[in-house]
Amino acid sequence: MLKVLKLKRKQNIIGWGFILPATILIFIFYFYPIIRALLISFQSGVGINLSYAGLINYRRLFVDSLFKGSLSNVFIFLILQVPLMLFLALIIASLLNDHKLKFRGFFRIAIFLPCATSLVAYALIFRSIFALDGFANILLMNLNLISSPINWIGQPWTARILIVLALTWRWTGYNMIFYLAGLQNINPTIYEAAKIDGANAWTRFTKITIPLLKPIILLTTIMSTNGTLQIFDETQILTNGGPANATLSLSQYIYRLSFEYSPRFGYAAAISYVIFLLVAILAFIQMKVGDRR
Amino acid sequence: MKKGLTLLLIFVVVFLGFSPVTAEAEQEVTITVWCWDPSFNIYAMEEAAKIYAEIAPHVTIDVIEESDVEIKLTTMVNAGQTDALPDILLMQDNSLHKNIISYPDTFFDLTDSGIDFAQFADYKVALSVVNGRNYAVPFDNGTAINAIRTDVLQQAGYTLADFTDITWSEYLKIGKDVLDKTGKPLLSAIAESPGLLMTMLQSAGTWMFDPNGEVYIAENAVLKEIVEVYIELVKSGVLVQVNEWDQYISSFNRGTVAGTINGCWIIGSIVQQTDQKGKWGITNIPKLDRAPNATNYSNQGGSSWMVLASSAHPEVATDFLAHTFAGSVKLYETILPSSGALATYLPAGDSAVYNQPHEFFGGQAIYADITAFAAKVPQVSYGLYNYEARDALGNAITQIMAGADIDAALREAEESVKFLMW
Repeated sequence: MLKVLKLKRKQNIIGWGFILPATILIFIFYFYPIIRALLISFQSGVGINLSYAGLINYRRLFVDSLFKGSLSNVFIFLILQVPLMLFLALIIASLLNDHKLKFRGFFRIAIFLPCATSLVAYALIFRSIFALDGFANILLMNLNLISSPINWIGQPWTARILIVLALTWRWTGYNMIFYLAGLQNINPTIYEAAKIDGANAWTRFTKITIPLLKPIILLTTIMSTNGTLQIFDETQILTNGGPANATLSLSQYIYRLSFEYSPRFGYAAAISYVIFLLVAILAFIQMKVGDRR
Repeated sequence: MKKGLTLLLIFVVVFLGFSPVTAEAEQEVTITVWCWDPSFNIYAMEEAAKIYAEIAPHVTIDVIEESDVEIKLTTMVNAGQTDALPDILLMQDNSLHKNIISYPDTFFDLTDSGIDFAQFADYKVALSVVNGRNYAVPFDNGTAINAIRTDVLQQAGYTLADFTDITWSEYLKIGKDVLDKTGKPLLSAIAESPGLLMTMLQSAGTWMFDPNGEVYIAENAVLKEIVEVYIELVKSGVLVQVNEWDQYISSFNRGTVAGTINGCWIIGSIVQQTDQKGKWGITNIPKLDRAPNATNYSNQGGSSWMVLASSAHPEVATDFLAHTFAGSVKLYETILPSSGALATYLPAGDSAVYNQPHEFFGGQAIYADITAFAAKVPQVSYGLYNYEARDALGNAITQIMAGADIDAALREAEESVKFLMW
């Protein structure tokens, strides 16, 4: 008995020993900054001249038009982009899951490849494609779809659509991989049975694929929501938040407050906590809605 | 013998006590410098190091390429990690006030360091003075120039002289004529960027802030005149708007537009187009018609050297700057021909090198001209909230060009800057 206890304790110690380095690192580089940021968000002042200010930073958020503007921008991206991207990813995944499809490997790689590119590089390329004299305008003009070039990044809505397009191009393949993996776990006999019962492709997609992929759809929705709320690179490089702040994102506003404007780390930290809360709330809602067991 | 040694020691101590800089001269000292751009700032710093090596051979200048100086500075100072900072760093003039005020006691006070600030262009020195104390040694020159294709002017029957000491209304008139005759606009500007507007503001000795640091946008009659001039420039086609920096550069490199108005550092981009050699000329910028203190001189961009208070040898770093960027005409003579790094150090303007003709600009002695312009640039204070104001003005001009009312847009810009000042 005593021996068993000793062995158990020994195993426990070894177990803890394995976890400890990672735990310590996570505490130092994740939890400590999270707590520090919370403390800083209660401070106010320029640069290092910080002093305790209570909830002033949080109260200020309600009257900050730039904050409200960037919040609504981010939600516009979220509402337009996440459903579009996930729906596309689902359809492509189901198409690629067809065993009779030729060159599946090629298509899979071709669609996944964009998300292996650097965020900065792809944003730069998108910017040059959608420049006034860029490829997109030349193509549309030659197809006679438009008569004069569209100033994509110069107008609020075209700029937003451009961001959504870029994000979709970059991330659809990434989500598709999750769905493909999920589809592997669905027993092909279910589809076979449905086919025999006369279910067409659309019915099979909506009645079998989507319900059985629900946990993965939930996962990708939460990840995409999280990613979109924190969007930075695309809006910084493609549109630089413009025109007239029409594509300014929350992270970009945080960056400006910390590194471009007179540094206000307290206020920037408060905004980062708003993102944190939003992600938490949205994830909670999605889990409640998506996970009805 | 022992007595003699003691005497010697006393002598040494007394001698050292009286001249602290020499005291450090006894030991090896390394001064680290952060700056960006290998062909410009880094090159200049390395040349300065060579000059100082002859004066103080025990001092090593270690130049480190750092493209995000300000971001690193912000992060380190906020984290309290000042020991990782360099001894000297290069700072954009636009950010000088902001950083000096945001990070008190971070920068070494150069006021009584023996550097003669009177030798620099006044407007440039003023940018690094806070509460009457000097915090930076001025370096690269941002004096505004009006660079024009003389061959295009010739086709339309004009010369560079027709653009010298003129007003914006005259510029517009000639500009329309040049456009009619040659099909070429005179200017290009980035749509979102208020750069040209800011150049015009400084040319009339005013800014987006009044001398007390209060926002001065909505009630600024000069700014309103500037916006009207800008709209007129765009509407008449004399100025074409582009979306980004690369398009701006290629607009004059490709010859789509026949000129540009910017800080004189833009010369570096103009001379890249070697087939346009001899076809350019440089003159002063147009002045505003109605503004009370309007001049033909302004500034756009530029940077200065700062010594950090956390440095182990701030006196050595200062002495280095005093003997090079603030005291060596030879340095400026070396860096000018190869990099085009133009000084705001006025004695350099008298040097023979500065008076040499520049082939690209049809033999014009452009450096002497620009140094002469620099001495006449009106002084303004960019203040603590310069970037906030710049963004707000950029948004305002975007909205105005999209059809918004000028007063309403400027009012909104003023409100948004005020909101960010708290």
